[in-house]
Amino acid sequence: MSSVEHIKEGRSRPSFPLSLLPLVFGRATPGAGSPAILALLMLPGLIIVAAFFAIPMALVAMRVADGPDGLATYFVILTNERYLASLIQTLVMSGGVTVTALILCGICGLFLVRNRFAGRNVITALLTLPLSFPGTVVGFMVIMLAGRQGVIGSVTDALWGEKIVFAYEITGLFVGYLYFSIPRVILAVMASAEKLDPQLEEAARSLGAPTWRVVKDVILPGLMPGLVSSGAICFATAMGAFGTAFTLATDIDVLPMVIYTEFTRNANIAVAAALSIALGAMTWAVLAAVRVFVGNGATSGTGGGA
Amino acid sequence: MSTQIRLRNCAKTFADGTRALAPFDLTIEGGETIVLLGPSGCGKTTILRMIAGLEFSDAGGVISFDGDDVTRQSIEKRRVGMVFQSYALFPNMTVAENVAYGLKVHGVPGKERDARVDAMLEMMHIDMLADRRIDQLSGGQRQRVALARAIAVQPRVLLLDEPLTALDAKLRVRLRTEINALLRKLGITAVYVTHDQEEAMALGDRIVVMQKGEIAQIGTPREIYRKPQNPFVADFVGAANRMTGQMRDGRLHIGAHVFDAVDAFDPRHGAIIDQGAVELYFRADGLSPCDLDEAHFTGRVEAVSYLGERLRLTVSGIGPQAVTIDTHADDVIETGADVHCRVNADRLTVFPAVAAHS
Repeated sequence: MSSVEHIKEGRSRPSFPLSLLPLVFGRATPGAGSPAILALLMLPGLIIVAAFFAIPMALVAMRVADGPDGLATYFVILTNERYLASLIQTLVMSGGVTVTALILCGICGLFLVRNRFAGRNVITALLTLPLSFPGTVVGFMVIMLAGRQGVIGSVTDALWGEKIVFAYEITGLFVGYLYFSIPRVILAVMASAEKLDPQLEEAARSLGAPTWRVVKDVILPGLMPGLVSSGAICFATAMGAFGTAFTLATDIDVLPMVIYTEFTRNANIAVAAALSIALGAMTWAVLAAVRVFVGNGATSGTGGGA
Repeated sequence: MSTQIRLRNCAKTFADGTRALAPFDLTIEGGETIVLLGPSGCGKTTILRMIAGLEFSDAGGVISFDGDDVTRQSIEKRRVGMVFQSYALFPNMTVAENVAYGLKVHGVPGKERDARVDAMLEMMHIDMLADRRIDQLSGGQRQRVALARAIAVQPRVLLLDEPLTALDAKLRVRLRTEINALLRKLGITAVYVTHDQEEAMALGDRIVVMQKGEIAQIGTPREIYRKPQNPFVADFVGAANRMTGQMRDGRLHIGAHVFDAVDAFDPRHGAIIDQGAVELYFRADGLSPCDLDEAHFTGRVEAVSYLGERLRLTVSGIGPQAVTIDTHADDVIETGADVHCRVNADRLTVFPAVAAHS
């Protein structure tokens, strides 16, 4: 791994009008970027922020304030047993899906990068296939696997005379989200693993490090940027995904389902809005905490190798 | 105290059947610096990795450190220090943490560890960099950290794989001198891989010249330089000029000229070459420019390069290919001019001619 290669990689993105590059990346020489042009270039960003973030969030927040309990609605969702349980359940499940996906894909991704064997490309393609599946389809597949007529049920029925069915509950949702998350994490792990310098591992081993230490001190720090970014996407998706849950059952108490029920059936718009804000805030808080916690390792991991 | 390394009947065939190394024996004495020299793909790095325990010899090979059989031992048990061309420093650790890593793995307690790290950093003149991150260091500083890290654990052998290749020429020479001093000071057994002849000469107690997976010659720098045992070694260590001649009754004939004082001992066959066609390999000092009446040959100057202390001419019309000849730096010689020169027969290395050119 030479630093020259890194620099070359970094520079090879010419699919952008070259004259605009210095403006966009803020290296404009005085006079080159007049205020009007700079304002124009900032406009798309402002529109996106306004249309997809600031305005909807403000509207939702106002809905909470307009409700029967006013701002106390936030207090209600935290004290009401059902809402709180749903919050915690969603958080735990999403965290569980993320951790499981990271472990599974960490091992699989590393294995696929390090080993060459017949059928390797097919396996990689199959593992990344769910990228293109909508949540509803994933839900349907979970039912085929673990539903009342599912494969697992039939097999356990034949073996022990007892049908194991877990498609219509949180376990089914867990499996569905895991399936959904694997391609994203595995691709990120494979991308990071390709960049690992094998000589770093050899250096660690020459210094006497046994395998577990090499994994802890060299491989994991190297994979960390990929694990953090894909884990964040995985977590956020699991927190908010709705299609799969809706396909499996309407009474799984994950937050998106509760929001949906409060909004459509109970017309409890203030609570639905407060829960939405809480869902967003929690997801953001967890992601921010992870970034702070592993931030140092992640950044120095990407900067290395040269 | 220093470890003697013996490789017996070691060979390497890769999974796809290509032979990287033909069976060979090599003994590296305790405290000796051995340089493995050769072009890329000659197998020098494979030998280094075998000693390290990163590659295993084909069945039948035995590697021992001071008589302990380490053939099947993995690298983490062998206590070897490694220095790589790419430095291979841990990017998630500071300079001091890198140097401390091996000590930490070996369970050296905190206080002793800190003292050892400080001593290492001081020895490599990088004590002021202790808390820096790796990406804040220059190439030369990185390689110093890598050396400090490798020797901190007091390895039985230090293995250096082209450690200076990524550095610029000036720094390369300076660090080479430092490494040389370090190896003498530590008295550690060292194996150094390079493709650079000058580096090999400067560092090695002995040099192993490698060609296509075989050892072409083992010898001191002086032996390799002055007495190359075959055309490959001669060519690789800089005697790249070639002429053809005939040996008749122990005397060398080149064209119409006859030379007496020729060292025509052929080490491969252990005999003096007495008769037959020969190939003569020599450096720029094998021919010297002279006046017409003393000259053996006259050639035509194809190119002139000014090297500061001398002028190097590329001359055609003397050997089968153009030869290089050195002359005084102050001489004024134009491209296209004729140059007369005489043969310094004692500077020629004589090999039996190969029947067909391969």
